[in-house]
Amino acid sequence: MNLEDIIKQTKTYYCLECGKCTSICPVSRHNSNFSPRLMLERALMDSEGELVHDRELFSCLTCYACSDLCPSEVDYPVFTQKVRSLASGQGEHGDCAHSGVLFSLMRLTAHSGIKQKRLDWLDGCRTTQRSEVLYFVGCAPYFEPVFEDIEVSPVNIARNSIKILNALGIEPMLLPNERCCGHDLLWTGDVETFKKLAHINAEMIKESGARKIVFSCPEGYRTFKIDYPQYVKLDCEPVHITELLAQNLSRLPLQPRVKQEGISPEVRKVTYQDPCRLGRHLGIYEPPREIIKAIPGIELVEMEHSGGESICCGTSVWTNCSSYSKEIRIERLSEAKATGAEVLVTTCPKCQIHFKCAMVDKGAEKGPDIKMGVTDLVNLVANAMETRE
Amino acid sequence: MNKEDGRKSVLVIGGGIAGIQASLDLANMGFKVYLVEKSPSIGGRMAQLDKTFPTNDCAMCILAPKMIEANSHPNIELLTYSEVEEISGGIGKFRVRVKKKASFVDRSKCTGCGLCQEKCPWKVDSEFELGLGKRGVIYIPFAQAIPRVATIDKEHCVYLLKGKCRACEKVCSAKAIDFEQKDEHIELRVGAIIVASGLGLYDITSLTEYGYRKIKNVITAIEFERLTAASGPTMGELRRPSDGRTPENIAFVQCVGSRDFRNKAYCSSVCCMHATKEAMLAFEHHPGTKSTIFYMDMRAVGKRFQEYVARAKKEYDVTYVRGRPGRIEVDPENDNPIIWYEETISGRVMSFEAELVVLAQAMIPQITKEFADILGIELNEDGFVKVPDKLAQPLDTTKPGIFACGYVHSPRDIPDSVTQASGAAGRAAEEIASLGSRGGE
Amino acid sequence: MPEFEPKIIAFCCNWCTYAAADIAGTSRIHYPANVRIVRVMCSGMVDPIYVLKAFEKGADGVLVAGCHEVDCHYLNGPLKCDAMFAKLKRVTNTLGLENERLRREMISTSESPIFAQVIEQMVQQLKKLGPSPLRGGVKA
Repeated sequence: MNLEDIIKQTKTYYCLECGKCTSICPVSRHNSNFSPRLMLERALMDSEGELVHDRELFSCLTCYACSDLCPSEVDYPVFTQKVRSLASGQGEHGDCAHSGVLFSLMRLTAHSGIKQKRLDWLDGCRTTQRSEVLYFVGCAPYFEPVFEDIEVSPVNIARNSIKILNALGIEPMLLPNERCCGHDLLWTGDVETFKKLAHINAEMIKESGARKIVFSCPEGYRTFKIDYPQYVKLDCEPVHITELLAQNLSRLPLQPRVKQEGISPEVRKVTYQDPCRLGRHLGIYEPPREIIKAIPGIELVEMEHSGGESICCGTSVWTNCSSYSKEIRIERLSEAKATGAEVLVTTCPKCQIHFKCAMVDKGAEKGPDIKMGVTDLVNLVANAMETRE
Repeated sequence: MNKEDGRKSVLVIGGGIAGIQASLDLANMGFKVYLVEKSPSIGGRMAQLDKTFPTNDCAMCILAPKMIEANSHPNIELLTYSEVEEISGGIGKFRVRVKKKASFVDRSKCTGCGLCQEKCPWKVDSEFELGLGKRGVIYIPFAQAIPRVATIDKEHCVYLLKGKCRACEKVCSAKAIDFEQKDEHIELRVGAIIVASGLGLYDITSLTEYGYRKIKNVITAIEFERLTAASGPTMGELRRPSDGRTPENIAFVQCVGSRDFRNKAYCSSVCCMHATKEAMLAFEHHPGTKSTIFYMDMRAVGKRFQEYVARAKKEYDVTYVRGRPGRIEVDPENDNPIIWYEETISGRVMSFEAELVVLAQAMIPQITKEFADILGIELNEDGFVKVPDKLAQPLDTTKPGIFACGYVHSPRDIPDSVTQASGAAGRAAEEIASLGSRGGE
Repeated sequence: MPEFEPKIIAFCCNWCTYAAADIAGTSRIHYPANVRIVRVMCSGMVDPIYVLKAFEKGADGVLVAGCHEVDCHYLNGPLKCDAMFAKLKRVTNTLGLENERLRREMISTSESPIFAQVIEQMVQQLKKLGPSPLRGGVKA
């Protein structure tokens, strides 16, 4: 596949150079070197060599803010993804944050011979060996040691998710040797490793006999729902936990007391960050809101830009994370703060990590430091299910 | 049913400038013309405009004489407030059933004095004023309406709905009010039909990025026309909706709903020019007004159009910015809209605060699939009348004997619509005049 | 069939452990040739990516060794290394890597026999465990 093929496949030749994409791109607002329009222009002018070696190719957040408005219906994120796979073939991979540790882990799980020990956090959860419902844990056990210092516990999200499923009468199955879904590898152009992961996961899922896979992470969900079917055969239905909860709200034992994770017992106002993968990628805006509104004693206030207009949390696939990323986060956190909410609720562990990171990074030169509670919706629900402090 | 030979008559559907022109041309050639118009008055979209480009002539000053001529021409029969219900037959022998809607006013008696509309206690949004002004339930649509008679809108008339009021009847000195009036159905025999139903407005509320109907000071171009027109709801004073102040800094946003695969993929053709005109008008109304036009491409292709744009830049301080805005927000302190755009020449993402934003709303052909089926003609994928042979017979529809002109045919401005109207009249005349000589009906 | 020879990558701090390894050599203290030594200025600068990359590239075992806390040239390197290592161990455990494959030691310049001993031990353990499950052709 070469650049010309990509242009044909993604129909980028329809681009009218109108600039609508760049005008609302959160990266372009802060990073004047980046412009979706100019990237496309370069591609169309046949400057493949230049394009694949441009650092800014990896600055795109693939958040879909641009394509949602594009009058020529150019799928800019998919274009970016495909050009990145060309770039990857030439040794380019953008600046990997955290020294590339997370990518290394993803690649390491692509070995078929490993036997992971990833389920030692299940206390309080009821799971079963064989069930129609599989809970996909994702990278939580690996992220836990990395991000616990900024007060984000992905494992807690997984634990609470399973407890909520239990409350709904579901005892899910877990894959003891589950692999990374491969989302970050796909979106940075390492399609080969992604395919390996997809095959290993699909095989395990097939053997498990699962009919439904529940995700707490929108990236895993999107990957299984949209990307996996292009490479492997999946005979089961991926679903996000918020969709499941929204359909079963009346059966959840919700009480108005909340605690833990930096949330004070008197919390009343929360605001909601639509993750890019759940929102613009998959169109799921209402279910999380229905859930928040169903929790007694909680009031949802919307940020200035919400739903389809939501602003991304500032970093995608751990790549090209920079001071611009922090500027984007500060912009978004300022909006959250302006609502008067005490807690920012999201349904993506990565959003949570990125916002928390902006808070602990004390550099004030990029804007005011903003302190706010940040938590996952699943934690909010789990707290509301507990009967005592 | 008229007993006249169908081959000497033509039906023109649509009383806008194109329909009027076609009617006049045919009437002058000796044909009998039935000009059917859905609304109470002929005039169409042009009557709503203040000035026309590229001359900045007063629209009504050009239109009204034609309207009057159409009304008084012995060969033209105006059937306003009427709709075509059914058509059968073919070229040379169409049978058309027209519904003359009940206006509850006896037109032979109504003098058009206008007292009834003044005294009507119930006011509703005026369609002519695009909701910016009100009209009575009994009304004359605009000052220069032809025919100048009142019409009662039965959907809102309190007497017809609830049995109360009849205020208009009390004040009408000509005793023209007739609440017993019924819809009338007539049958016409015509040799040819010209479709000139004109230009519609695409509903851009779903393009939420522009904030139309959410942000008070974001209006459409045609609403702007009504605000600057001397006969409009503000008597020609350009006042912005939120506080009635005269805006001194106006932004025009082009291609709203047009050139957009998610809405209308085609170019509406006239917006680049009308935005330029509107910017000039704003300056004339209030010298020193700064206008900025956000465009993608300047379509100034007609005769002297490019010079018009150059004049706007030089003499009226209009700035043209190449960049299609991605979002319009608002400053809650002063209700000023804020436009986010990329200035594509330099590549910088900027925000622009204006006092008023005028959106160049996409324009659509005013014809439904249902009506096209009644006519027996096809529409293309954008809803315009389908023209099977664009090069040899560009005004013919897919049904012999039916021709189209004006915006319903394809996006075009007033001079081109008038040209096409004469063309369609010529085609219609040619076809039916030659019927006898071709030896068959 | 040739016996399995494990490959060990050892990140050794310049001032202590590297010197210890050097002295082991010059003192003719024998230690297996399975180890490749990577000299770092301080064990505190060892980033988890070095270790993970080593495993990606086929290492069967990794040793992270440096000064004792009181000896560090840069004062707090070993403490930083300990904190990093604790997290790294949790990650490699989750990956299913056996405990013996990733090892932390504090070996000062004068402790070269200990260096040899550690390597000898690791090689024996890894021979029993076999090749790393993380081996097998992944590009960097």
